[in-house]
Amino acid sequence: MRGLPTASIVRAGLVGGVSALFVSLVGLYTRFADLELVGEQITLGRVLIPAPALVAAYVVTRPRFVGGERRPIVLGGGLAVGTFTGAVTGAVFALAVWFADWFGVDRIRQVFVQVTEPLIDFLTFDKGVPAGLAILVVLCLAGGAIGGFERTAPASIRTPAAVGVLTVLALGLLQRIVPIILIQLGIEADWLYTPSTRGLTWLGAAGIFVVAAAANVLWTRGGARAGQRVRTTIQEAPAAKLGLLVVTLSLLSVLPLLLGTVISEVLGQVMVFVLLGIGLNIVVGYAGLLDLGYVAFFAFGAYTTGLLTGALLNTTTGAAEPVLSADLNFYVAVWIVALMAAGLGLLIGAPILRLRGDYLAIVTLGLGEIVSIITASRWAQPLIGGPQGMRGVTNAEILGLNFQKDPQAFYYLALAFVLLALFVSWRLAASRVGRAWTAMREDEQVADAMGISTIKYKLLAFAMGGAIGALGGSLFAVNIGSLSPSSFGILISITALAVVVLGGLGSLPGVVVGALVLIGLPGLLREFEEYRLLIYGGALVAIMVLRPQGLIPNVRRSRELLEEEVEQDAWAKGVTGQAEAVVGVVPGGRLAGESENLE
Amino acid sequence: MSDGPHLLELEGVAKHFGGLYALSGLDVRVDEGEIVSVIGPNGAGKSTMFNVVTGLYPPDDGNVRFHGDSIVGLAPNRITKLGIARTFQTVHLFPNMTVLENAMVGQHCRARSGVFGAVVRPPGTRREEERIRTKAKESLEFFGSRLAGYRQEQPAFSLSFANRRRLEMARALATDPVLVMLDEPTAGMNPRETIELRDHIVRMRDVLGLTVLVIEHDMRVVKGVSDRVIALDYGRKIAEGTYEEVASDPQVIEAYLGTKAVG
Repeated sequence: MRGLPTASIVRAGLVGGVSALFVSLVGLYTRFADLELVGEQITLGRVLIPAPALVAAYVVTRPRFVGGERRPIVLGGGLAVGTFTGAVTGAVFALAVWFADWFGVDRIRQVFVQVTEPLIDFLTFDKGVPAGLAILVVLCLAGGAIGGFERTAPASIRTPAAVGVLTVLALGLLQRIVPIILIQLGIEADWLYTPSTRGLTWLGAAGIFVVAAAANVLWTRGGARAGQRVRTTIQEAPAAKLGLLVVTLSLLSVLPLLLGTVISEVLGQVMVFVLLGIGLNIVVGYAGLLDLGYVAFFAFGAYTTGLLTGALLNTTTGAAEPVLSADLNFYVAVWIVALMAAGLGLLIGAPILRLRGDYLAIVTLGLGEIVSIITASRWAQPLIGGPQGMRGVTNAEILGLNFQKDPQAFYYLALAFVLLALFVSWRLAASRVGRAWTAMREDEQVADAMGISTIKYKLLAFAMGGAIGALGGSLFAVNIGSLSPSSFGILISITALAVVVLGGLGSLPGVVVGALVLIGLPGLLREFEEYRLLIYGGALVAIMVLRPQGLIPNVRRSRELLEEEVEQDAWAKGVTGQAEAVVGVVPGGRLAGESENLE
Repeated sequence: MSDGPHLLELEGVAKHFGGLYALSGLDVRVDEGEIVSVIGPNGAGKSTMFNVVTGLYPPDDGNVRFHGDSIVGLAPNRITKLGIARTFQTVHLFPNMTVLENAMVGQHCRARSGVFGAVVRPPGTRREEERIRTKAKESLEFFGSRLAGYRQEQPAFSLSFANRRRLEMARALATDPVLVMLDEPTAGMNPRETIELRDHIVRMRDVLGLTVLVIEHDMRVVKGVSDRVIALDYGRKIAEGTYEEVASDPQVIEAYLGTKAVG
């Protein structure tokens, strides 16, 4: 190969090496050294060893744009570049391990607590420093080559291969969940998962790989078109639409029976965040107002539900009545909570109507903090219990279902709430109100000039978003039964926003998928609990780079993003072609950059 | 002119940005059923005048009356609801909404349904939504086949430049206005499109019964449509009258061509 991009290779390789060190230092390798995915040899820890090299190689072999022209790298070059990148990563990695071994693990450990003998043993495959390091470097080389292959091989090979491998890894990770489901369904699972270690068997892994890859091939061969046909049929025939709805609903209603209590509990948590996501999506996705303090509504909903249904304050001596409380039936109280939260939305919305973009985000961030500080304050203790919180929130018992003790029952309550919120949100989006929000999001000043009261619709967005967010809080309170300020931190705001952004701003299916990925997966994979935030961060960065419009984008939103990109490109080049045309024709025409002023 | 209050009346309107006087002591009257053109060199204050009337900028001094009532200090959306619709010099559509949706936004201020209507969809709301759709289509059809058919379901950004201008006008017409204010409607159009648009402006008055206030640089259009022409320079009115009167006014000629060389 003539002219390898040496500088890029070295840079990416170094970044890969540093990432590998980072992964070692935070303890991911030791934590997952024994999590067996396939057989006894392939553990999650070992899969993670070549991962940094793979990602680095995948990035460095991306198509280059030369003068606006896309220049993909050919397969041979991709493999070479990838392998070299992997070599650099492996060298850095091996050097660091050698250094740690030479310098003394105990001395390093005083700073980096995760650097231990087992870590060194793991990274050298129990073969000692010189011999083990060779294996380490070879693995990184392989990782780099795979990264280059996945970028430059023909799509007909690389996509099925990637889908197959990823499916095997995913099913391997879900080793606690999938066998349970299979047993519930009455299917013998021993050939698939090893009963003793729980990892996939080699036979099972091979089977899964073949099935997944074949499914992918079939899908690209014509499944996509068939899917499109099905979609058109559903859109055109009301009967088909109704049928799909019935099937979906009946599937949703038997789900907890199939999945058992553990997964149902996770699904319940997912539903709470689906509600939060639906509400926040109205504010951020529909109306375009970036709200970083959404936890305010969540906390308000939870505590108000407690107060209205006769919960008690925790005190050092036992329990006390709040200074203000009622003893309403939950199904009455929840409507009052939603109404009051809408009022709170107006209150929060009113002072910040004139703020836009970043400023709005900062102020809402502050408002959210104020609410979470109030929940923990002594000042509010007589009402909501301060640091000790509240207990005895109603379990909303109805038809003999106890929503606190029985996760499967709670699933149904949550499902009802979610379906209601989905319906309201969907109807709003497809109405005069939704149109006004969209217009406002696209161009606030022009929307105002076209007769849309931006003040009214901003407030309405905050009120509707607030009401749905408070329903989420209400649901959470019923599920948990006791409230403590620690549940209402800024992390809730961030997670809710991450759910909305990951799924795709303005997209309701996106919210559901976003919550399943961000809440459901960590809930199922308890092993990852400590690394949850690390994984959130990584997932969001990956989404922003690979799919900025979200997993299931709203058509219009993704167009907006694309347009911004085009505008930025044009800006970088100077002036857009269109603006040139305008300048050419209009006397005193102006450049695109100035067009924001309505002159 | 006519008895009673004028349709639109600017009285001593002043607007300055820092030390720059964009408008000073401007008096303008527009009567119902007129087409009035506003001309003047760049920076004469024409667009500023539009922005003051439609409430985007508050005037620093003076009064703006519509149907005899002051509209100073009202939000732009209130002024639109009173019956003043406008277009912008640089086209401002909602680029990712469809062509039809853009026009439907125009009808927003003539409808009432809110959250309850949206969620429950009672018959009243359905009828209203149907009416919004019909009206929006009607205003698109004002431009004949240009914005008809499949185009209505396409996003606005996919339109040609001339069609974007037409859509912006259709959106303004969809607000059911009394007075339409067009800011350089033919800018960026080719000669044929310009002539077509000239006829459209005349039809706005003759067919739709609207009053039109138009900023225009193309003198053929100004000549072809205007009942009256107002010339601005440095934020002041320097001439007013028929096209011929204004076009031969020495001050106007000076404003466009510069001061006569002395000596």
